[in-house]
Amino acid sequence: MPVETIIGAWVATGLTLFIFSFLYKDNPLFKLAENLYVGVSVGYTIVKTYDTVIVHLIWKPIVENGEWALLIPVAIGTLMLTRYVPKAAWLSRYAFAFIVGVGSGLAIPRVISSYILKQIEDTVRPLMVMVPGEGLTFTMNLLNPASSLNTIIILIGVSSVLFYFFFSVEHTGPGKAVARTGILFLMIAFGAAFGYTVMARMSLLIGRLTDLIEFTDPSYGRPSLWLLGLTILTLVVMGRRRPQGEPPEPH
Amino acid sequence: MSFAERMLKIDRRIIFLVIGLCTLFPLLYPVGLPIKISPEVRGVYDYIESLPEGSVFLLSLDFDPASKPELYPQSISLLRHAFRKNLRVIAMTLWVSGTGMADQVITQVAREMGKESGKDYVFLGWSPGGSAVIINMGQDLYGAFPADYNGKPTKGLPVLQGITNLRDVNYAVSLGAGNPGVEAWYVFGKDKYKFELGGGCTGVMAPGLYPLLRSGQINGLIGGLRGAAEYETLIGQKGRAIAGMDAQSATHLAIIVLVIMCNLFYFSLRKQAKQQGHSGA
Repeated sequence: MPVETIIGAWVATGLTLFIFSFLYKDNPLFKLAENLYVGVSVGYTIVKTYDTVIVHLIWKPIVENGEWALLIPVAIGTLMLTRYVPKAAWLSRYAFAFIVGVGSGLAIPRVISSYILKQIEDTVRPLMVMVPGEGLTFTMNLLNPASSLNTIIILIGVSSVLFYFFFSVEHTGPGKAVARTGILFLMIAFGAAFGYTVMARMSLLIGRLTDLIEFTDPSYGRPSLWLLGLTILTLVVMGRRRPQGEPPEPH
Repeated sequence: MSFAERMLKIDRRIIFLVIGLCTLFPLLYPVGLPIKISPEVRGVYDYIESLPEGSVFLLSLDFDPASKPELYPQSISLLRHAFRKNLRVIAMTLWVSGTGMADQVITQVAREMGKESGKDYVFLGWSPGGSAVIINMGQDLYGAFPADYNGKPTKGLPVLQGITNLRDVNYAVSLGAGNPGVEAWYVFGKDKYKFELGGGCTGVMAPGLYPLLRSGQINGLIGGLRGAAEYETLIGQKGRAIAGMDAQSATHLAIIVLVIMCNLFYFSLRKQAKQQGHSGA
């Protein structure tokens, strides 16, 4: 096995265990891993951005291929940096105006088309569908998202939730029933979202534990076992060396 | 202090330990619970299966190592499927922090399937601009990515023969862990350049993408580790996702039991308080 893979396994195992140690209590090992994560992420992003943008998309095309037109976006981008010079800061407004203008122009029509028009089209579906030979039919299959029954449920859900967020009318009488229905739909949506969130977090735990199990293999030098021992030992030692003046933890 | 009170004030580290053990034991001793294929995952599989040999498949790996446990198995399964179907694979990422990992996954699967860079697949790497990159690719693929990840000029690569922009892509799948991801690919890609689009995402994002699925804006959705396990089952290659499903079921069961127990203790305490209130009065 390549040395870099073994080193990678030891580093990954160590950092995983250090982060997990926070579940016991806050400690310097966790802080070390946390700061390393932030530092490495930012460092990696800066290096990749510099290499891709400055070197490959600006410097090389201009110097090697003579694509001088690239100096225009470079100049607009450089105007952003004038924010750091108070007397010339007004120049940055041109760059911001350009970005906001282009960004809005590109995004607004696309977002209206994708999120509003298409979703309205999907919400307001015909309640009954024409089936050749059978005429108008009303389908009751709850498992089919396109069934007539589900169309009614979606229509009721969307209307009642929209009404719940309509605060100009007091939610009393029939309005209260509609708003309550809206809350019910919202609660179901929150429950589904929370269930998926739990699943996602458990998946992350499964991913890390799968790696830890794999790294108990002798070919890696059993980093999971050694570093687990080291982490526990460190936590025990640090627990005993309580700073002077700090009261004992309540039991 | 009553039993219910003691249970509601239990040290949370005990709960962490229970969840940890519920995850660890099924990983060490798998049971092999059956995996049912959902229509949304089948949608992606069926579309790739229907593509003729040599079709252009674009895979955008829009995630970073923080979402690796969920999206890495999805990318491995999709790449294996695409290579097995002899599709021309264009891989890329919109997340700068995921560039190295994306290169690692495509190189690993391509080597395993005996595919050659530049001829059977290309990894374009990352380009700045987020969603704007998609629009740029829709106009001119070579303008957005003049060179691939290894620095080779993209113009003239055999794998990109006959491709000028996103309109020439037969099927695109975005494996997204946030923004830019699946939604950006629909809004700035499919809606404008009219190619078929599928999605893969983390479990957290899945409920938010179901409206796009129902309206046909995406033709399939692989959600979280569960979705990855379903895809592994469909292509008949067991991987990390299937291995994790027993653990997933066990932890879900543990959480359901804990939620029920907490509610029982809470209501019993409330009942006790009410009774004490009546007797006091």
